[in-house]
Amino acid sequence: MAHSVKRYHGLMDWLTTVDHKKIGILYLLAGGLFFLIGGIEAILIRIQLMQPKLDFVSAETFNELITMHGTTMIFLAVMPIIFALMNAIIPLQIGARDVAFPFLNALGFWTFFFGGVLLNLSWVIGGAPDAGWTSYMPLASNTYSNTHGVDFYSIGLQIAGIGTLLGGINFLVTIINMRAPGMSFMRMPMFTWAVFITSALILFAFPAITVGLVLLTFDRLFGANFFEVANGGNAVLWEHIFWIFGHPEVYILIVPAFGIISEVISTFSRKRLFGYSSMVFATILIGFLGFMVWAHHMFTAGLGPVANALFSIATMLIAVPTGIKIFNWLFTLWGGQLTFNTSSLFAIGFIPTFVMGGVTGVMLASAPADFQYHDSYFVVAHFHYVIVGGLVLGLFSGLHYWWPKMFGRLLNETLGRLTFWTFFIGFHLTFFVQHFLGLMGMPRRVFTYLPNQGFDTLNLISSIGAFLMGVGTIIFLLNITITARKPKDAANDPWGDGRTLEWTIPSPAPEHNFTQIPLVRGLDAYWKEKVAGNKEMPASEPIGPIHMPSASIIPFLMSVGLFIAGFGFMFAKDEFASSFVGMLFNNYIVAIIGLLITFGGMFCRSVFDDHGWHIEPEDLEDKGVKA
Amino acid sequence: MSGHAHLDNKLPHQPELATLEGRNKVLGFWLFLGGESVLFGTLFATFLALRDQIADGKPGTELFQLSTVALATFLLLTSSLTSVFATQALHRHNVKSMVNWLIVTVVLGLGFLGLEIYEFFEYVHEGHKFSTSAFSSSFYTLVGFHGAHVAFGVVWITILIAQIFKKGLTVVTAPKIYVAGIYWHFIDVVWVFIFTVVYLMGKVG
Amino acid sequence: MVSEHSASDQSAKHRHRQEGPGKHIVAFIFSIVLTLIAFAAVMSSEVNKTFTYIILIVMAVLQVIIQLAYWMHMKDRGHLMPIIFLFGGALIAFTCIVMALYWVWW
Repeated sequence: MAHSVKRYHGLMDWLTTVDHKKIGILYLLAGGLFFLIGGIEAILIRIQLMQPKLDFVSAETFNELITMHGTTMIFLAVMPIIFALMNAIIPLQIGARDVAFPFLNALGFWTFFFGGVLLNLSWVIGGAPDAGWTSYMPLASNTYSNTHGVDFYSIGLQIAGIGTLLGGINFLVTIINMRAPGMSFMRMPMFTWAVFITSALILFAFPAITVGLVLLTFDRLFGANFFEVANGGNAVLWEHIFWIFGHPEVYILIVPAFGIISEVISTFSRKRLFGYSSMVFATILIGFLGFMVWAHHMFTAGLGPVANALFSIATMLIAVPTGIKIFNWLFTLWGGQLTFNTSSLFAIGFIPTFVMGGVTGVMLASAPADFQYHDSYFVVAHFHYVIVGGLVLGLFSGLHYWWPKMFGRLLNETLGRLTFWTFFIGFHLTFFVQHFLGLMGMPRRVFTYLPNQGFDTLNLISSIGAFLMGVGTIIFLLNITITARKPKDAANDPWGDGRTLEWTIPSPAPEHNFTQIPLVRGLDAYWKEKVAGNKEMPASEPIGPIHMPSASIIPFLMSVGLFIAGFGFMFAKDEFASSFVGMLFNNYIVAIIGLLITFGGMFCRSVFDDHGWHIEPEDLEDKGVKA
Repeated sequence: MSGHAHLDNKLPHQPELATLEGRNKVLGFWLFLGGESVLFGTLFATFLALRDQIADGKPGTELFQLSTVALATFLLLTSSLTSVFATQALHRHNVKSMVNWLIVTVVLGLGFLGLEIYEFFEYVHEGHKFSTSAFSSSFYTLVGFHGAHVAFGVVWITILIAQIFKKGLTVVTAPKIYVAGIYWHFIDVVWVFIFTVVYLMGKVG
Repeated sequence: MVSEHSASDQSAKHRHRQEGPGKHIVAFIFSIVLTLIAFAAVMSSEVNKTFTYIILIVMAVLQVIIQLAYWMHMKDRGHLMPIIFLFGGALIAFTCIVMALYWVWW
């Protein structure tokens, strides 16, 4: 039975895999690739701004660079890397053999990937989007943005967004339905809680941007009038829809970082997390309030004093649960037996950095003051402090922490510390001075500035910092390359102080994760057993055959279908040199072929049952010996 | 998971919840509907913001034919009732009755779609085109999104009926039927808001 | 979690056994009546505009509650998560509508 199933090897294995651990690695690879692309765009921006009146890139290219930097980093780099850690760790942390929907998990990855590829192909076909990552109307309308750039934005993000939404639903169901026996909600590790809240935010925020992007696409491709003022449309409507999604999106990014930091700090302080239940409560509250504050991005749009006051107060309220979290981390560190390594350095570096981002956030929340800060470099500094200083430091911390569980090898500690110090110092050099640039009046999204306005030195410092961050990233890549050549020798619990279930199984985790699903007897289940003097988790079931889902190429094909359909719709009204190609596009034949592939994939998935296959107990023992 | 066809007479009362896969599917679908609520909420918001922006086109007070809408509403409400009968038959393991009620549901859904297409043709004929005004764009997008959901449901339930003939009622097929049932009710609930907000309030002006 | 589930399965089994089409037909009749009231309020020219709006909204909300409770089984046990997430979605949808009504035009 176990060997009768068709198993793929090499490239086909990666294209067809439904294993959450492999999908996690795919997310990491693809997200890492887009992170590098976004990083290069950032470096190019900083080179252009290094000195006044440079024309290293043209104004048009600069607009494309800032748009693609923001869009790529948020949707295609950091979110997928969050998904990489979610995939790699969540089923292990809750004692499950896989996610709830392995097939959808693969589909989610491939739609994200092809959406991202489509968006980035804009650099070589027809010009990249240039209306800013917020794509405000009427700047993004056909009148003012007449290349296909914004179409790449709307259709690429639409396809990638499908993947994110599927991922969100998948992790919600996984966490609700598949926790190991004994793991009540209030015994879930903090990272699992964070992912639970993040997934709920994804579920409620992404449909809004789906609609927003549909409206934008209809306006640009099919002559609709949602934002077309001449026919009764309203440009502010786009701002609202974008930020009703956009603000929760910020919390979708930062909440997982909160989870990672909680795990890392508690592990390397050898203490249970201070104020666990208040942490849970604070995370839920942040998630809820995240939906009620979107208009603070629009203070200067003219909503009036009542709306501005309302959103101002709601925004400042978020400082309360966030403050609870900061103090809980500090109290966890207080009196703990601290271990300083790369992972904990990133986590400890996160705390003051994120507090700075939070404080400027409260400053911006004050509507009258915001009229001064709005669209200046102060805002740029603020959101880079929360996203890079918060999320990216958190991701680095999490990657160093869970690397052995994902790949079976510990990253090099010396190179790791070098990564931390170059990246951390580079980050503060880049963005700390930008607060002052903003306060001195430098507007964001300008491609150059005049000399002798007091901007020159600070911009130079900022650019040097950006190079240093680049060096930090290169050292990290070097570390990965060197580590990949070492043998897979990481222990089950390489840090020695693991508290949660993922550290009870081999590194990397075997295909079926747990030979026997463990029985959870408290918060920090593994630590509890360690304290009681047990070497292993108690099992909640006898050893038996384990049912596994079959690999499938359908998710890949369905995503290819969407990719083709995206191009089909985008170029439906263009003129082509070849009349045959023109006929295919202009009659929507390409779009229809693409959609047929996707719906055909859905049809096959519905009609042909996946019986899966079993790992028999005797095979389990073989694997046990090898591990 | 597989090969349970011969155990038909031993199916549990709620076969859709008999396996972990089934429970995951049902819960996952509920969550998806939570997301769909936001999707339609945003579409309703767009419509409400733009419904008075008729530019050179006709307003809803002149346009809407309440008799067509009333008939469409009746068809969809009835189809929701027949789909709940199908779910009850599923719980009684009465495959024949279940399939019959599903077929009735599909037929009523097709009737609804026919009426909607007829209605759209009429409006376009009267000069209420997709690109006429912000009102017309948001009208066709909101009602069209709902119509697309109905069309998807009709195709989906048809495929499920074929699967029942082929595979019978098992712990694998039962969750699919159950989930299609909640999907159909959800579409009906959305329609309640559409006929209220778009047509009736549009007629009031 | 696991034991909870089987317990609720048991009790649900008990209730569903006696469940006939009766209450669903009653829910259907309610839906039809509420719909008719809404249509009638619009068609009669007697009622003023604001009052018509209120009638329409009340009828729609009542009908949706009835359909969610009976046809979508949300009154049955084991539906805590569906309720949380559907109402979460409805809350965000409501927020969007408030946005559209108050903060788009001024």
